[in-house]
Amino acid sequence: MKKNCLFSNFIAIFISSIFIISCSKDTTEVIDYNGKFKHISGGNLINAMAGEPSNLIAMIAGDSASSAIAGNIFNSLLKYDENLNYAPDLAESWQISNDQKTISFKLKKGLQWADGKPLTSADVLFTWKLITNPNTRTPYASDYQLVKKASTPDSLTFKVTYESSYAPALDTWTSLHILPKHILKDEDINNTFFSRNPTGSSFYKLDEWISGQQVTLKANDKSVLGVPLINKLISRIIPDTSSQFLELTADNLDVMNINPIQYQRVFPARKDLRQKIALYKELGNGYTYLGFNLKKTPFNDIRVRQALNYAIDKDEVIKGVLLGLGEPISSPYKPGTRWNNPNLSPYPYKPSKALVLLQEAGFKKNDDGILMKNGKPLKFEIITNQNKQREMTAVVIQKRLQEIGVEVSIRVIEWASFVNRFIKTGDFDVVVLGWSLSLDPDQYNIWHSSQQGPGQFNFLGYSNKNVDKLLELGRKELNVSKREKIYHEFSKYLLEDSPIIYLYAGYGLSAVHKRVKGIKNPAPPAGIYHNNYDWFVPKSLRRSEISAR
Amino acid sequence: MLIGISLVSFFIMHLAPGDVTSSEASFNPKASEESRQKLRELYNLDKPVIIQYGLWVKRIVQLDFGNSFASHQKPVLWERTDKSGNVTKGLIQESLPITLMINLLGICIIFSISIFLGTLSAVRQNTWVDRSITLFVFIGFAIPGFWLALLLMYWTGVSNQWLPISGLHSLGYQNLSGFGQFIDLLKHLVLPVSISSLSGLAGISLYVRNGMLDILHQDFITTARSKGLKESKVVFIHALKNAILPLITIIGLSIPGLIGGSVIAESIFAIPGMGKLFYDSVLMRDFPVIMGILTIGSFLTLIGNLLADVGYAWADPRVRKGLVK
Repeated sequence: MKKNCLFSNFIAIFISSIFIISCSKDTTEVIDYNGKFKHISGGNLINAMAGEPSNLIAMIAGDSASSAIAGNIFNSLLKYDENLNYAPDLAESWQISNDQKTISFKLKKGLQWADGKPLTSADVLFTWKLITNPNTRTPYASDYQLVKKASTPDSLTFKVTYESSYAPALDTWTSLHILPKHILKDEDINNTFFSRNPTGSSFYKLDEWISGQQVTLKANDKSVLGVPLINKLISRIIPDTSSQFLELTADNLDVMNINPIQYQRVFPARKDLRQKIALYKELGNGYTYLGFNLKKTPFNDIRVRQALNYAIDKDEVIKGVLLGLGEPISSPYKPGTRWNNPNLSPYPYKPSKALVLLQEAGFKKNDDGILMKNGKPLKFEIITNQNKQREMTAVVIQKRLQEIGVEVSIRVIEWASFVNRFIKTGDFDVVVLGWSLSLDPDQYNIWHSSQQGPGQFNFLGYSNKNVDKLLELGRKELNVSKREKIYHEFSKYLLEDSPIIYLYAGYGLSAVHKRVKGIKNPAPPAGIYHNNYDWFVPKSLRRSEISAR
Repeated sequence: MLIGISLVSFFIMHLAPGDVTSSEASFNPKASEESRQKLRELYNLDKPVIIQYGLWVKRIVQLDFGNSFASHQKPVLWERTDKSGNVTKGLIQESLPITLMINLLGICIIFSISIFLGTLSAVRQNTWVDRSITLFVFIGFAIPGFWLALLLMYWTGVSNQWLPISGLHSLGYQNLSGFGQFIDLLKHLVLPVSISSLSGLAGISLYVRNGMLDILHQDFITTARSKGLKESKVVFIHALKNAILPLITIIGLSIPGLIGGSVIAESIFAIPGMGKLFYDSVLMRDFPVIMGILTIGSFLTLIGNLLADVGYAWADPRVRKGLVK
């Protein structure tokens, strides 16, 4: 009897307290984020990463989290400015010899490492020797191995001579982080503690790294390009994107990459979020495509490939999968850049034309509406890795192809198995994949007929003698307008041959708290993050030390 | 036994296509195939599986768990110090404590709440108390943890800022006192521990309930009541002690589970525990780490079984005296 009363009382109190708490009034002050604020240093910027960096020496680490953090700590010889032109980083100027085989970089005067020691051409030579050393476990050596001779005529000059003129050379020098010789000269680069406690020369230096949880960078007062305004960059490691979003809405994060649904559906419906968070979109340097295994029938027939290109509605894919946040493309280059051929346009959606081409290729519809040739139906399997957007894209494609009588099945495979069991062995029909490319237009590794070996990137088996010649020429031509013509012609062949169907170039979408000022909107060609050292947080808008949980 | 387990695990692991060189970065047009081949040779991945197994066994019997294949080269089990005195912590050394803490807290909560609920259910059998408790634990069992986690994170972290949303400590952590840091950690653990305990409540509480029901219908309980003992003494001292005996076996059998974390809960709450470590290693084909975790897990399973047997014998005098098996 006693126990019953106690229990019911407990339940009653529990339920009523829930009501009382949830009915409490909402007291939020309205902060005005618009208005003129003075550029002032201090404050911190908190962002989220899905994975933890593994090694801050970018030449050894393979993952994007590591290069993202290392990019704030180290400089290269050159960098890209907001319009994607070459700009000085450590080198104040560079000269290309008349025979186009030698580049001479002149370093700025008075450069220092974060520990105060001088940064000279000896460090650059040391870094080049390190990356070309066969004992260094780096996947990125091949570009730097093309340098026949590297020398330092004086402490401010670094000279490299190539075997033959190599047009992508300058681009390769924008991504080599220069490492300190005085710290690393006696270290085993593959196993050094430097990878967890580096000394760099750029805007930030490592403050604290709590394994598995967060990486904190603080402003480097000896930074070669000047001290950044925001004092601390804190990267929290939060693997789940829904958790990241909750942290953003609770004001524990300042910056986050968002997906199309959050950009187009969630934010427009939430006035409270739009008041404190601003959205940005920018075009990245990659694209998603449908690739054919050119060594298998019927994909070795150009009419079949072109027909399938006409049968897929790319605008529908962009609208359905990306909610309109992407652009159709007709060449493997970023729209708006000089390498993109403006005279090319994507294959329009014309299912009737598709059927005509397939008929020419020998396919006829049977009684069930399925296209048949020699008694066999036109049927194949699309494989893709575990990426929600690619999976959805495959479904949209499946529907459209079914309408003209092509039977398509879809298979989603985990990445390592995907690459090893299907791609490397050539055991696939069609893939939906993407390329994320460097800013140099050279695409030799992907499209040249010599690159079809196991583990190389021409896994589709593309071979076109004209394209081979163009790719070889493009690598040697340093004159920009001549180079432009070469790659425009290359794009024309690629569009005609249709070894892949260009699906879309998706936008990179970011949500940034309005307390962060200095962001250029609309985003310049280099994206909004290119000048993150110029961002600042006005004093009145900063969060207090412990309020972020 | 351990050799059998490790041999089977090793072979199964190698059945999956791919190795540590097939990460997402392997599809970067700037990365060359020769470097990947060199890495494969360095880690003996091109040798036959049985030879790789032999090499691994040779190290493990010296208790050398090796280093991870990932580019951070961290030791699998325990930290190593290099010649300049820099300490690189081991992967399991970093992930295990937090997983152990969450699991131990979880087990304490599950067992204490379940024993209370199970007893209450049994004593008030077939009343609304019994039915609502059963309903509650079944809902807890059926509800998808990740969904409930997100809802609770929203309610407690965004709408009302009572608890932190994810992670293990707040930003201004270093500035808090020792006690403040402890409270901060507990606040971060409330949601993860609750979510992972919720599904365990059903099993244990119904177990206790059924055990109690069996016992409460036995003669010695009637005797105790007729002796005039207080009801609470009858239930909590005489009946419960007998009902708890099977739970000791369950505790012993859940010892290997102590080192396993739920990768879903750890991903959602951004907790760097053993579940995430194991899952990431499998995706990355990081063999030393996978084998290290499996070895420790199998070792603990064997210990757990032993402890369960011993514990049962200690708790139940009838087993000791050979009267009941």
